[in-house]
Amino acid sequence: MAGYILKRLVSAIPVLLGISIIVFLIMAMIPGDPATAILGSYATPENVEKLNRDLGLDKPLVQRYFIWLGNMLQGDFGRSFSLNRPVIDEVLERFNGTLILAGTSFVICSFLGVAAGVVSAARQYGLADKLITFVVLLGISIPSFFLGMMMILIFAVNLQWFPVSGMWPIYGDRDIAALISHLTLPALALATVATGVIARLSRSAMLEVLRQDFIRTARAKGVHERGVIWRHALRAAMVSIIPVLGIQAGFVLSGAVYIEIVFQWPGVGRMLVDAILTRDILLVQGGVVFVAACYVMFNIAVDVAQSLLDPRIKT
Amino acid sequence: MTRALKLTDLSKTFAVGLRLFRPPKALVRAVQPVSLDVDKGETLGIVGESGCGKSTLARMLVGLLEPTDGTIEIEGEPLNTADPAEFGKRIQYVFQDPISSLNPRKTIRQIMEAPLRHLHGMDRAARAKRISEIFAAVNLREEFLDRYPHEFSGGQAQRIGIARALAADARILILDEPVSALDVSVQAQVLNLLRDLKAEFDLTYLFISHDLAVVEAVSDRVAVLYFGSVVEVGRAEEVFARPRHPYTKLLADSAPVVGRKLSAPEGRETELPDPMNPPKGCAFRARCPRATAQCAAVPPLERTPEGSYVACFHPLDT
Amino acid sequence: MSFLRLLARNRLALAGLIVMVCVVVLALITPLLPLADPNVTSTGDRFQRPFSEGALLGTDHLGRDLLSRLLHGARLSLAVGFAAAVIAATLGAAVGIIAGFYGGRTDNIIMRGVDMLMAFPYILLALAIVAALGPGLLNALIAVAAVNIPFFARNIRGVTVGIAHKEFVDAARLSGMGDLRIIITEVLPNVIPVIVIAMSTTVGWMILETAGLSFLGLGSQPPVADLGSMLGEARSALITNPHTSIVPGAMILIIVMAINLLGDGVRDALDPRLKSGALNRPMPTTLVDRQGPVPQPQAGGALLSIEGLKTEFHVKNRHYKAVGGVTLSVRSGECLGIIGESGSGKSVTALSVMGLVASPPGVITGGAVHFEGQELVGAPYAQLRRLRGDRVAYIFQDPLATLHPLYTVGDQLIEAVQSHHATAKAEARAHAIDLLKSVRIPNAEKRIDSYPHEMSGGMRQRVGIAMALANDPDVIIADEPTTALDVTVQAQILSLLDDLRRDRGLAIVFITHDFGVVAQLCDRVAVMYAGRIVEEGPTDAILNAPSHPYTSRLMACVPELGGGRRELAAIPGMPPVVDRLPDGCAFADRCHKVRKACRRGEIDLVDNGPDRTVRCIDPEPVREAAQ
Repeated sequence: MAGYILKRLVSAIPVLLGISIIVFLIMAMIPGDPATAILGSYATPENVEKLNRDLGLDKPLVQRYFIWLGNMLQGDFGRSFSLNRPVIDEVLERFNGTLILAGTSFVICSFLGVAAGVVSAARQYGLADKLITFVVLLGISIPSFFLGMMMILIFAVNLQWFPVSGMWPIYGDRDIAALISHLTLPALALATVATGVIARLSRSAMLEVLRQDFIRTARAKGVHERGVIWRHALRAAMVSIIPVLGIQAGFVLSGAVYIEIVFQWPGVGRMLVDAILTRDILLVQGGVVFVAACYVMFNIAVDVAQSLLDPRIKT
Repeated sequence: MTRALKLTDLSKTFAVGLRLFRPPKALVRAVQPVSLDVDKGETLGIVGESGCGKSTLARMLVGLLEPTDGTIEIEGEPLNTADPAEFGKRIQYVFQDPISSLNPRKTIRQIMEAPLRHLHGMDRAARAKRISEIFAAVNLREEFLDRYPHEFSGGQAQRIGIARALAADARILILDEPVSALDVSVQAQVLNLLRDLKAEFDLTYLFISHDLAVVEAVSDRVAVLYFGSVVEVGRAEEVFARPRHPYTKLLADSAPVVGRKLSAPEGRETELPDPMNPPKGCAFRARCPRATAQCAAVPPLERTPEGSYVACFHPLDT
Repeated sequence: MSFLRLLARNRLALAGLIVMVCVVVLALITPLLPLADPNVTSTGDRFQRPFSEGALLGTDHLGRDLLSRLLHGARLSLAVGFAAAVIAATLGAAVGIIAGFYGGRTDNIIMRGVDMLMAFPYILLALAIVAALGPGLLNALIAVAAVNIPFFARNIRGVTVGIAHKEFVDAARLSGMGDLRIIITEVLPNVIPVIVIAMSTTVGWMILETAGLSFLGLGSQPPVADLGSMLGEARSALITNPHTSIVPGAMILIIVMAINLLGDGVRDALDPRLKSGALNRPMPTTLVDRQGPVPQPQAGGALLSIEGLKTEFHVKNRHYKAVGGVTLSVRSGECLGIIGESGSGKSVTALSVMGLVASPPGVITGGAVHFEGQELVGAPYAQLRRLRGDRVAYIFQDPLATLHPLYTVGDQLIEAVQSHHATAKAEARAHAIDLLKSVRIPNAEKRIDSYPHEMSGGMRQRVGIAMALANDPDVIIADEPTTALDVTVQAQILSLLDDLRRDRGLAIVFITHDFGVVAQLCDRVAVMYAGRIVEEGPTDAILNAPSHPYTSRLMACVPELGGGRRELAAIPGMPPVVDRLPDGCAFADRCHKVRKACRRGEIDLVDNGPDRTVRCIDPEPVREAAQ
């Protein structure tokens, strides 16, 4: 097993390099030069040239890439001009917020989605199935940012059950209860779409598995129906559900951008949108590479989970 | 008698675990060097259990797989091109699964026209004429031409598959388990049709099957394959009646026959050799009751006084 | 066209279609409607409530007419969403088809690239692209299309790989077709339904994504607005004037929901599995809908008896009578063979005994099954479950498919025991090892921890047999247990079964299509044709002197080893389809002895010599049996 994890980690290196190249190339496509963007259009040509030299922008593209890569590997992602602080500090601080939000949502949507899918499949065409199918349809059709706004309107403004926005109260203790009350609405809004998608795929994966011969074998040997569904069918269905969970984790991370804006959550998504609007390229570049790298690591964990589940995968 | 098909040291090795830049993890020999001759107008049966390489051999013969080594001669001319169309005119293939060998989104007419158009460049009128000739030969009604494959039963679909192979106007047909997907009552119909067509169009058959009785019933000669090697070749009526190779005998004794008492022909519980880790020497050695130290070398396929061929150091007496 | 009919039959999809048609028509005629200019501001009329004069849906923070902006915005959102879906599907499908068709190194390189793009959470890539190209609706469209290409590529590649390995592609190659022509005429027509399904189920998603980018202010730029940017602009007034948010948000919801309903309908209509009902979940026991009286158990001390069993498959309006009144019985220690061609109902008969016929679509419509006097048809689930695997056990055909792939054979054996007897794990494991030894698996102590895929076909089937033996059952029903095996392995398994039954006094019901197997293993044999037994009796008697014309002709068309080269006596025609059985004898159309009386109503199974029955009005004479 350790060997397998090591192998997967090694195989992630080219992926990470590829990610850095893609991000670097996309950013290099930006028209105009960043120095002008930083200094404003009234800057003197000398100042622009000096800044370009400081940023290393006078060097050829390939050389710039390796300089950037080398700095990154030493933990130096450059300096954000709009925030005037090192990119890595800002990204790490913001990523913490995103991780709390997206992580909670991911746990919610995984459990809820799989459970809903299993129940739906086990009671195919029954009342529970119809109800779940309808709710799921609603869930995958509603824009998460609209859902978030409506939740604020109903549960925060009208009912006043939860705070309207932010991660912590402005006054008062930063304790776990405060975090949960701030987290509830955004986490639910973010989990909705992914729950729907996971529920749908779990349902069809379960239906696919329930028709297999080995389910008939389980029934023929007298296994309880509960065991047939949860032990035999779900285990086999998880083989196709787990990769979907991996992909949905990416969607939750993506959806966090909208939810962070709607709920004023201090996360990396909001930071990126602001950075794009202020053309803070180093911040965008650093943020994207960092989050993508984390996602690659997460997917390795998913692969490892898959190999633990399925002995047919050679480890 | 002229040779229709001559294989010389034909072999196939598959790469397992293909990697992007480095060589593959392992090589598996699916077909050991095989040399076989098929006479014009003959039916050569090829029999063996799953994994013995019979389908790989067949696919090489029609150019769907490129041989790793060795040569194929068709009617005296060497054929080493990798172009399937070049093969298509000389040698055709009838597939095991009649339904999946017909494109579900094409009408039978479109399927039948493909070889006529692409191999022979016939115009519309010539194609229509040729198709009706062939359909008459395989006892199919022409109204079937505008239907889709899913509307046919397995037996009918297999007739269509045979008709398509005939349309290419090849003289040699490779029949890869042509009746094993069919029910027994339909199986006999198709086998009889194949026999009639052979006489009518002067064809040469390579008939591949795992069913010993079927092979025996349709073939002139039979080659027995084990683990990628030919272990015995002989006349159909003799091969199973008087087997020389211990494996052939095991096969013959294993086939359930009405009126023969049930007995496990093999005392030991054995398994086929692992292709990733092939045994040295004779592949049957581990299962063979007559194996000796000599069998650690690969036995050559040698002619017996009776005119059959056997690859064994200790063949059975007739 | 059947596709449209199927789509229309799905009421939800139809509702989605109607909503979509309305929205699309509205969007198309929006410029022609007498609406206020969507971009003209009038600060005096800010935040008018819905249904106020001159503004049906009210106005926004700049006093612009919301209805007009909504329709113009919907028009824009729809156009962008569809465009993104078409672009992503086309490019993704092209990449996927090339990778899947050529395989090998081409595939490897392309899919590495695709994996790399999928290693980004999609929005990061979209944000990076928008950051590079600058905010704007067209750039948002490009970004959304680009990030979705890998998803399409991967999906289509998988489908293409499956098709490229189909035999009809090989056949096309042998017909002289080149790669390009094969891709266009053989592969593409089979992939298009998948592309359409993938597209119809993702258009809604694309609309959401482009709206999302606009919501962030990275898509459409003021004053022009799509639905997303309308929401984005309204957000600051969410609490004071919620209607400006609710109007565009609800519109997105309606559009995307209609598209999703329609997309599901398209998927269901194009998926052939749905038509055949193959996506139904089989219930724990077969449905019973018995008409007519319940037969009483036969006298004579049979262990398991089947009386007048009728099992049908109800697919749409068709009723396939798979089993049309079968009566059979088996005594302790006896081996009964059921022989027939595919579709003769032999397997369905066997599965009906313990209610294991998949249902839907299977329904037991008549007859009874008695095990030691207990009626099993229509018995409560709990009672059936207690008997399954404990007293009546099954062995199935394909041992790879019938064992759970993710549990070790030990776990599966232990479960079989523990489902019926409260046994400690260690004890159950020891029992499992004994079982494996009893089916002559070498090295059982080690093999017990193997997974099914680590074993050969013959070894797997031994595990299947061990599992059936786990609780020392009285009856084993073996459904073609050796059909998937090689002939040398088959011989081993048959002799094992024969030894086990003699040692343990088991009753075996053995289903097969092979006369040789029946002859070697079974005491009695029943021959089935089109769902009914046509002949039954002691194996030797029937095989030496078959009296039903079907039996005799079927035996004649099976070549037997040792006969040498010969002509086979084929039976003309095909078995009848069981949803349209003819009156009278189902074999009449293929029979050489057919007369008028054969087609005139029901033909009964009648006694025909000692311990034999036959369903024929003109059976072959049985005197040869004396020989």
